[in-house]
Amino acid sequence: MSGDSTVPALECRDVVKQFRRGRGFKKKVIRAVDGATLTLYPGELFGLLGPNGAGKTTLVRCIATLLIPDAGTIRVLGHDVFKDALFCRQQIGLLTSGERTLYWKLSARDNLKFFAALYGLTGKERDKRIEYLLGLLGLQEVANERLERYSSGMKQKVSLARAMLHDPKLLLLDEPTLGLDPQFGRFIRGFIKEELNKKQGKTILLTTHYMDEADELCARIAFINQGRIVDIKSPEEYKRDIPHKEILKVRCLGQFDGELLKGVSGIERVSAEFNDGVTTLNIVAERAEMVLSEVIEAVRARTRILGVDVQEPTLEDVFIYMTGTSLGADTKEEHETQYQD
Amino acid sequence: MARLECINMQLVKRTTDRLCHYWAAVWAENIKEWKLELTYKADFARSLIDPVVYLLPYLLYGIALVGGRESESLRNLVGTADIITFITLGYVFIGFLNMALWAMGFSLRKEQFYGTLESVFAAPVPRWVFTMGMALHSILHQLLMIGVQIVFIILIFSIKINPIGLLPTLLIIALMLVALYGIGMFMASFTLIFKQGGLVSEALASILMILTPIAYPLAVLPVFMQKLALFVPTTYGILGTRHFLMGERIGFTLREAFVRLGMLSLLWVAFGLTVFWIIDRWTRRSGTLGHY
Repeated sequence: MSGDSTVPALECRDVVKQFRRGRGFKKKVIRAVDGATLTLYPGELFGLLGPNGAGKTTLVRCIATLLIPDAGTIRVLGHDVFKDALFCRQQIGLLTSGERTLYWKLSARDNLKFFAALYGLTGKERDKRIEYLLGLLGLQEVANERLERYSSGMKQKVSLARAMLHDPKLLLLDEPTLGLDPQFGRFIRGFIKEELNKKQGKTILLTTHYMDEADELCARIAFINQGRIVDIKSPEEYKRDIPHKEILKVRCLGQFDGELLKGVSGIERVSAEFNDGVTTLNIVAERAEMVLSEVIEAVRARTRILGVDVQEPTLEDVFIYMTGTSLGADTKEEHETQYQD
Repeated sequence: MARLECINMQLVKRTTDRLCHYWAAVWAENIKEWKLELTYKADFARSLIDPVVYLLPYLLYGIALVGGRESESLRNLVGTADIITFITLGYVFIGFLNMALWAMGFSLRKEQFYGTLESVFAAPVPRWVFTMGMALHSILHQLLMIGVQIVFIILIFSIKINPIGLLPTLLIIALMLVALYGIGMFMASFTLIFKQGGLVSEALASILMILTPIAYPLAVLPVFMQKLALFVPTTYGILGTRHFLMGERIGFTLREAFVRLGMLSLLWVAFGLTVFWIIDRWTRRSGTLGHY
């Protein structure tokens, strides 16, 4: 946490958002956000980490006043987002996931001019701000070209510029690197951390399902799963608090059933991922070296070992440990309940 | 006392700043719509030619039935015999009706297709400001189309109008546009809720086109339809325009026309904004705002 203001930049208390889907007897209630409570302090870079369908985007859309929650309160700089929506929208810079949030038939400059007017910027002040942002994001040379000719990464840069147009105090960045190539992803991450957070001191709520991104950028992270905030801690605290210390990763040829290792003493849990003809076994143990020889023997008896590595637990491991769900999973069907009319 | 004055000054400044902000947003929306429209040049050209093409059959049909430009029957009904000017002045109002029934709803639909509706609705301006920008663009587009129509008709048939009547004509049209904005908000709500609001627009357009005396005098409608027509803002727009520009008898005083239209404007705007507000809240509760 940074900043010493007593008024939180963002405060969500017991926020519930549910959607009704289907008709008649097949009607279901999907509890997309289930009692979410979190507080962001001024200048904080806060991560909301969870798999697809966990409720991250729904919560962001509630904060941005695009959705009305069924219960709970949301305050931006002490103002209720529904009673004082216009004030709160002026304080929020929103970057939504997906490319199609800008006018592709217009240039970057025309897009920014349009949105600048919506945020109350006009004349020289607007032009100065747009030139500053175009320069900051390296878009000046292509600023007059239509967006349809831009790559995904460049479009995302324009989206970032739009979110920053009115110099908002709170930035909501919903999956900012989703679908970008590594080069642009690296640029956006660096920009968020160094420019927006460290240099400009913005309060940032970043949603992501990339644990590396959350680990690299965020001072505190909320794990969200099936609409519920599971815990809020710093990445270091998460890793420290996980009861097991090491993860043995074994890569072997062909499909290998992780269940076959369950009998090895000292192993707490095994998960196996099969991809492109290679199985990666993630073996959680108090100490990897204590189980290493037995594991290698058991695997070698059935297939060829391609590599062995001992790692500290990552945020993904912590997430799996706490929720039983992988960050790569799609959980949107899991928290549906039958709606009783 | 000085403190009260200071508070008043602050309030005035805040209100002025806010109105300037809203006007900038309305204008930006209008400019953005023009830029988007002009990226499809062939469609834009067609939008100017179509109204002329659709108007011609009305005029030729009228000439064929009457056997010339002057109609005695029309003179007996409304006090003027020139069917070309009569129909042309009435016909331009179809465009204004289309603006209310189609353009505003369709603009929201386009934003849904572009994927930009949520980005726009996340901005710190009320929804009515954004839809007013759409309406402004539609009105300007409409005026351009009317200009093309009138130039074309003048070149072929010539139109005889009373230039002194232009100012009151603009006044009554302005008042009518306020009422049409209310209808436009109502129709735009259908787009938010049903996505394809075309069916409702089409049904309402058909009814209003019959009730509005575009190519015929109000007097030829059955009595109950004449009464219903008095609830439609374009009726007053057309009757007023033809009265001021070519001396059509309208069956009520000008004061009555302005008062009734003023009341209709108030009612339609209040109704349209209320329905839009309710449906906007509904879409934000159901999470269907950005769906297409």
